[in-house]
Amino acid sequence: MLIFLLRRVMQACFVMIIISLISFAIQDKLGDPVQQMVGMSVSQDERNQIRNELGLNDGFFLQYWRFAEGAIHGDLGTSYYYKEPALDVILEKLPATLELAFCSILLVILVATPCGVLAAIKPKHILSRLLMIISSIGLSVPIFIVAILMVYIFSIELNMAPSFGRGQTVEIFGLWESGLFTKDGLKHLLLPSLTLAIALMPIFVRLIRAEMMEVLQSEYIRFAWSKGLSARRIYFKHALKNTMLPVITVGGIQAGTLVAYTILTETIFQWPGMGFLFMDAVSRVDTPLVSAYLIVVGGIFVITNTFVDLIYGLVNPTVRLASHGL
Amino acid sequence: MKYIKKDLLHPTSGNRWGHIVSGFVGDKLAMLALIIFLFYCLVALLAPLVAPFDIVDPAFMDLMNAEIAPSWISGDNRFLLGTDAQGRDLLSVILYGTRLSLTIGICAVLIQVTLGICIGLMAGYLGGRIDNFLMRCADIQLSFSNMMVAIVFLAIFQSLFGMARYQQLAMVILILVIGLTEWPLFARTIRASVLAEKQKEYVDAARIMGISSKRIMFRHILPNTLSPILVIFTVQIANAIVAEAALSFLGLGMPATEPSLGSLISAGFAYMFSGSWWICVIPSVTLIILILAMNLLGDWLRDHLNPRTYKD
Amino acid sequence: MKKKVIIVCCLALLFWNKATATTLRMAFDADPISLDPHEQLSEGTLQFSHLVFDPLLRWKQNGQFEHRLATKWERIDNLTMRFHLRHNVTFRTGNPFTAKDVIYTIERLKKSPDFRAMFDTIKSASMVDEYTVDVHSTYTNPLLLNIMTYVFPMDKAFYQNQDQIIKYGETFASRNVSGTGPFILTERELGSRMELKRNPNYWDTNSDGNIDKVILTPIRADSTRLAALLSGDVDFIFPVSPIDIERTKKIKGIQLVTLHSTRILLLHMNQQRRKEFQDIRVRKAINLAVNQSLIVDKILKGYAIPAGQLSPDRFLGHINNLEPEYDLTTALELMKEAGYEKGFRISMMAPNNRYMNDEKVAQAITAMLSRINITVDLKTLPKAQYFKEFDNRSADMMMLGWQSDTMDSNNLFEFIIACPDAKTGMGAYNASEYCRSYIDDDIRQANREMNPERRLRLMQQIERTLYNDAAIVPLYWQSLTWAAKDNVKIQDIVNDQNYPHIGDLFIEE
Repeated sequence: MLIFLLRRVMQACFVMIIISLISFAIQDKLGDPVQQMVGMSVSQDERNQIRNELGLNDGFFLQYWRFAEGAIHGDLGTSYYYKEPALDVILEKLPATLELAFCSILLVILVATPCGVLAAIKPKHILSRLLMIISSIGLSVPIFIVAILMVYIFSIELNMAPSFGRGQTVEIFGLWESGLFTKDGLKHLLLPSLTLAIALMPIFVRLIRAEMMEVLQSEYIRFAWSKGLSARRIYFKHALKNTMLPVITVGGIQAGTLVAYTILTETIFQWPGMGFLFMDAVSRVDTPLVSAYLIVVGGIFVITNTFVDLIYGLVNPTVRLASHGL
Repeated sequence: MKYIKKDLLHPTSGNRWGHIVSGFVGDKLAMLALIIFLFYCLVALLAPLVAPFDIVDPAFMDLMNAEIAPSWISGDNRFLLGTDAQGRDLLSVILYGTRLSLTIGICAVLIQVTLGICIGLMAGYLGGRIDNFLMRCADIQLSFSNMMVAIVFLAIFQSLFGMARYQQLAMVILILVIGLTEWPLFARTIRASVLAEKQKEYVDAARIMGISSKRIMFRHILPNTLSPILVIFTVQIANAIVAEAALSFLGLGMPATEPSLGSLISAGFAYMFSGSWWICVIPSVTLIILILAMNLLGDWLRDHLNPRTYKD
Repeated sequence: MKKKVIIVCCLALLFWNKATATTLRMAFDADPISLDPHEQLSEGTLQFSHLVFDPLLRWKQNGQFEHRLATKWERIDNLTMRFHLRHNVTFRTGNPFTAKDVIYTIERLKKSPDFRAMFDTIKSASMVDEYTVDVHSTYTNPLLLNIMTYVFPMDKAFYQNQDQIIKYGETFASRNVSGTGPFILTERELGSRMELKRNPNYWDTNSDGNIDKVILTPIRADSTRLAALLSGDVDFIFPVSPIDIERTKKIKGIQLVTLHSTRILLLHMNQQRRKEFQDIRVRKAINLAVNQSLIVDKILKGYAIPAGQLSPDRFLGHINNLEPEYDLTTALELMKEAGYEKGFRISMMAPNNRYMNDEKVAQAITAMLSRINITVDLKTLPKAQYFKEFDNRSADMMMLGWQSDTMDSNNLFEFIIACPDAKTGMGAYNASEYCRSYIDDDIRQANREMNPERRLRLMQQIERTLYNDAAIVPLYWQSLTWAAKDNVKIQDIVNDQNYPHIGDLFIEE
């Protein structure tokens, strides 16, 4: 067991080193950070001096070594623009992203579950056919088109919700800037979370439908029917419960999609979260921030993956055995 | 977007193509989707012949003609769908854009299929350590979504080649990036099918007869796993095209001088509310219809080839 | 009884309305990267300086100077200018404003990498008395006053001994600020929000400005920014993309103000990289093939002025009858004469997020050049990468936009036209590698010439030579467009340098 654990942790470390190398390698190529710091009339010499002070003229491996040394101590460099440790900047923006993701996932669950169930239990019904067609359309409309339509309809024409930013926030426990507790904050949250939810919704409606249909075919449901249980009890108690488990597993895999979609949504609505920070940092050539972001996101993936594996290994002995053989 | 292996399993054996064809005739929506898709393919193939203008001709881009509305509004019969901000005939640009988008989509998915088949077969048939290792890779790959990886990789490529070289290689790189990021979907499906097929007697028989495992894999097992591949194939092309459009929107896709549907949309984006809506709306509609047709086709194929889930 | 209650209520409401602070919410495309006014010479920084600091003098809309912290100035001799300072002005901290602060600020400007180039021409500043300062220049300098508009006195007692300027690290000055300006910074979240409140002790009591609170939000995307104005989330935005102007004009309750800026956009034809460009006929042909008016008309929707020279009309070097020409047949003939009838292939680079519609303009130019058989391989890059390529002179043709810091033609010539010289920094943005020593001599002479008449002749002479030589391809002078709600009277407070004087902004209730 211990060997299995060690092996997984070592794998995780290895992946992290590769991620850090890649994210560091692109640093130099985004553009010239010094160019962003100085005005147009500053001479080449002057700029070169700043490059020297920043150590940007050193060799790649020397620079990477410095970076790695800092990273081990939890220092991912200092953002050129924010002039604060890059890690702090990212963590500061984390609540905004998490709140956005959380709200849209909530929306997705609340809407997609009943839709998916309906489409599964009555596949021939006109409503579920309609649902499937709508979800097909939803799947086909790129998220950025959804976003601009939302802004146009709800923000400009109906004037119902603001189109950018996060609005008023309050601080909870002194460390979490939250927009969930002010009216203004919730209003600002409306459009981005709705957009994100609309982008994710069709995927989940289809997923739930497929899983549910699968479950409805299974032996124990047939057994339940023959036992004479009520339809509602069968659908919602027995079938749905067994549907949700694989849905959550697969939904977990979608986390990456979620991150990518968050980047898009945040960019369009100027939501001050991690995704917006990333795109902004790229355009500002704030290289320490860019690599720190990649490392943090990569790290989150690796850690969750490792944890899931470890838990699986603990719960399911076959996995453990197989891994022993690895 | 991503389909779990379960609903893709088990093709009907026997005359698969006959089965598909007969099904099509019965379903009008599927027929329509197929016709639309074929139409797009045809138009894309014949773009140089169909397009009213030659896009490489220097006279093609004339600022004098900028932002002319579609002919049913402006009454200008030269440009059926109007012109864009640079004075290019929108119809011609869209035709070529569709061609580019479809090429990127299909090529990328071909790469996915090739990789997926090889890896899936190997993992499923050989099992053991190799299986373990390959599926671990697939897990990692899947957990970073293709968009995420593509964003990072395109940024790397852009920097590696420099923006200038990148724009020349944009198409190849896009195909590679989208192609290399979604193979696990195929690999997993095929592996699952192989695991199921492997238990069957004909495989044992073949092995006893001394047929090499390579031959068993490709000649005997593979044909029996084609149905789910066909389904994913269709849907994945749609996904690849959307991915390319999204990347173009973020400025990581095709350059403005050589526009795909995605970069057309993103270029027209600024004109959305300025009155010249057609610059953005027409390419968007073109893209959406294409994707919709492909998704419907995929849906239908899945339902039709998978009798287990479509019996009710 | 009932009536009385209603009246009281109405009155209360009225008073309550009066009592609420007048807030201006504005969205610009960038926010200052630092609170230190000397860290970066950029639009964002200078806009910020006009909010929390006051300049000694500033430009009015009509191109004249307006007295601010300096009430009077006089020339003592060829090298010295005397400034009389305003009395009874205090900094945010309560420290009184005196001559010491002005001298301190000028000395600090001379240390700043960004401002140094401009302030090198000032030798020193000396105190005459508490409210009088003498500024000594190194040589006779006709532009001394123009440069002095960049002096925003800083609180010496506040900054002293902790005033280092570091571009990439945290400093005291980048986090703390004390100025005499109309507003006081209350809150700042870098990159997303800045809040300022009215300075209660502001000296300029004659100002119409009635804004108690300013909230500044940077919004990058043009469409998002405009949407924010239309949906009422903000009151005042800059810039408005030319594409959206027509539509915005039609909307009730929104006003647009457009001014012509002095920023010139141009194309460099690199003569070191391409021998074709050394032929004046080719350069002329290119100039004739590019249709500036059409670009302005179609891509910028008329919100720019087509340029046939570098100096905009408010600059001294401007020649009235130099208009851009467009003549395809002559251009083709010239190409034929030069022996390039079949044309040639060149590379071109342009930024895609630096100037208004830069990418589209570049694309249109490739189409125009293809008419005279020049095939252009166009690459557009984000600004962060573009200027690196620009420094390396990576393409045969490169796009550049330039705004003169001193509001004078000579600044354009120094950076864009003078022979490249790494030591002096002259010609730093001369990607034509066009070099005429007599132009350099004229530039140097114009820098010291005090007689406006002679100076005018010198600069017009340079402008004329450039035109006759077809040294570069001037494109257009960009326009600036602001949009605001009708009750926000921005008309009088914006200017062609884009430093809106928010302190004087009046909002109708």
